[in-house]
Amino acid sequence: MDADRVDGSSVEDMASAIAEGRYQAIGEILEAAVVRGERRWTYTDIFDHVFLSRSLGIPIFLTLLWAVFAFTFALSEPLMIIIEEIFGALGEIAGAGISNPQVASFVAGGVFGGLGSVLVFVPPIFLLFFALSILEDSGYMARAAFVMDRLMQSLGLHGRSFIPMMVGFGCSVPAIMAARSIEGEKDRLITTLVIPLISCGARLPVYILIAGAIFGARYAGTAIFSMYLLGVALAIIMALIFRRTLLKGEPSPFILELPAYAVPRAKTTVLHMWARGKWFLIRAGTIIFGTVVIVWFLAAHPWEATAGGEMIENSYIAIIGHGLEPLVRPFGWDWMAAVALLFGLLAKEVVVGTYGILLGVEEGALGESLVALGLFTPLTGFAFMAFVLIYVPCIATIATIFRETNSYRWAAFATAYLIILAFVVSGLIIAIGGLLGFS
Amino acid sequence: MTDYSIKTGKGLGIYASALGAISLVVGLVEISGGWGEIIPGDLFGGFVLLVIAATYLNGVKGVFQGRYEGLSFLVGGLFLTAVFGILYLLMMGAEGLMYLLGEAQALPGIFDLRPEVWILLLSLPLARRVRRLTDGMAW
Repeated sequence: MDADRVDGSSVEDMASAIAEGRYQAIGEILEAAVVRGERRWTYTDIFDHVFLSRSLGIPIFLTLLWAVFAFTFALSEPLMIIIEEIFGALGEIAGAGISNPQVASFVAGGVFGGLGSVLVFVPPIFLLFFALSILEDSGYMARAAFVMDRLMQSLGLHGRSFIPMMVGFGCSVPAIMAARSIEGEKDRLITTLVIPLISCGARLPVYILIAGAIFGARYAGTAIFSMYLLGVALAIIMALIFRRTLLKGEPSPFILELPAYAVPRAKTTVLHMWARGKWFLIRAGTIIFGTVVIVWFLAAHPWEATAGGEMIENSYIAIIGHGLEPLVRPFGWDWMAAVALLFGLLAKEVVVGTYGILLGVEEGALGESLVALGLFTPLTGFAFMAFVLIYVPCIATIATIFRETNSYRWAAFATAYLIILAFVVSGLIIAIGGLLGFS
Repeated sequence: MTDYSIKTGKGLGIYASALGAISLVVGLVEISGGWGEIIPGDLFGGFVLLVIAATYLNGVKGVFQGRYEGLSFLVGGLFLTAVFGILYLLMMGAEGLMYLLGEAQALPGIFDLRPEVWILLLSLPLARRVRRLTDGMAW
C-alpha cells in the first residue's frame, strides 16, 4: 500500500484495505498449500443456500421471527394464569390478615395489584429469550444480520447496525453498548439513536395486556408481531433520515464471519435465557417496585379524600393525569393512559403496574377491565401500543446514550425525537384507521 | 455431474412439488379468510405457508437434476414445516392446559389440528428419504 494512497484515505477505507489485504494473503497461502478435492457439502452449506438466498432469505427471517412471538404468546398464557392464581390467593391472605388499613391498601393495591400485575409477565419474557437464544445458539442470528445487511446497504446504512438491533429485542441498554463494535463514528451514532425503536422485552407486558384484551387470543400474537415489525421499519426509516440529513456520509465496509450451524444445547440455551431474563426480575425488585410504590401513594392519597384509594378521581395521581390528559385525548386515551405513560418513562413495565393500581383489579381481570370500561378500542389500543413502542424506552437507555456518546446533546435529541415520533405515528394510526372505518 | 441419482431426484422432486402445491393452496385459503372448520383464516399463518411452498418449489428443478443445490431447498422446506408443525402442536398443548385450568371450554381434539400439522405428517416420508441422502454429512 503506497504512502500517497494511505494519506488520502479515510480510516474506514484503510480498515477495508487492510481486511481485503489480509483475506488476499490467506487466499494465496491456501492456494499454495491446499490440494482441492471434490466439493463436499456440509449442513451449513445446505442451510446457508436457503437461508441466505436472495429471494427467500428475508421472508424466511420474517417467518421465523413470527414463530418466536407466536410461541412466546401462546405458551405463556397458561403459565401466566397459574401465576395470577398464586398472586390472587396471596392477596386474599394478606387482605384478611392485615388490620391497619393503610398497610392493607399498600399490600393489596401496591404489591399485589401493581407489582403482581408486572410479575405475571415473567413467563412470556423468559420464553421470548428462550426462543431468541435458540436462534442465536444455532448460528441463525448471524445469518439474519447478513440477510438484512443487503437491505440496509441498499438503503445506505451499515450492515453491522443490525446486530445491535437484534440485541435490542432483549434490552436497549446492552444493544447500545454493542454498537461500540461499529467502526465508523457516524454509523455508530446512527445505530445508537435508532436502537430505542427496537422493541425490547420491557414493552412485551404492555403489548400482551393490550393486545390480549382487545384482539383476543387468536390475533394477539399477530398484533404483537406487528409491533416488532413496526419497530424495525421505523428504525430503518429513521436511520435513513439521519444518514441523509444530520449524519451525512457513506456507510463503512461490513465484514461478517458466519459461524457454522449447530444444534443448540439445552443447558446453554437455558443459561442464555436466564442471563438475559434475570434483569427483568432484578428490575421488578428495584425500579419497578419503587415506581409502583410511588404510583400507589399518589393513587391512595390524600387518604381521607380518596377514602383509602377507593375514590381514585380525588387522588393526586388523578390531578396529574387530568393535567396531562389534553396531550393524549386526541388519540382517544384518558387520564389513566397519560399517567401510565408518564411513569412508564422510568420503566415500560410500570405502564401495566400503573393500570393494575388505578383499576384496582386482580391481574387476571386487568385486560377485561380495560375493555369493559371502554378505555381502549382496537384502533386506540393499537395506537397506544405503537406509542409505548416508540416513546423513550426507559431512563436507563437515555443514560446509556449519554454515556456512549459522551454528550447531553445527543441524549436530549434522542429523547425529543422519540417523543415527537411517538405522537406522529400514533396520530397517523388513529387518522388512517379512522379513514378506513376502524373505531 | 450429479450428487445423487436422477431417479432418486425425480422421486424427491415429485414429492416436494406435491408438498409445495399443498402448502401453496392451504396458505392462499388461510390468507383469503379460511374454509369452514378445516382451514382457519390466518393472515400470517398463510404467509408462512406461502414461504414454505416457495422454498419447496425453488428446489424442485435442482432436485430433478440430482444436485445438492436443489436438495438444500427441500431441507429448508422440511425444516420450516417441522418448525411450524411443532409450533402448532405446542399451541394445542397450551390450549389443553388452559382447559385444565378452567379457562377454555373444551379440550382440543384431533379435528382441531391445524393444516400445518397435517403437512408436517405428510412431509415425514420425504424427511426420511432426505435424511438418508445427507446421512454422515458434517455440520
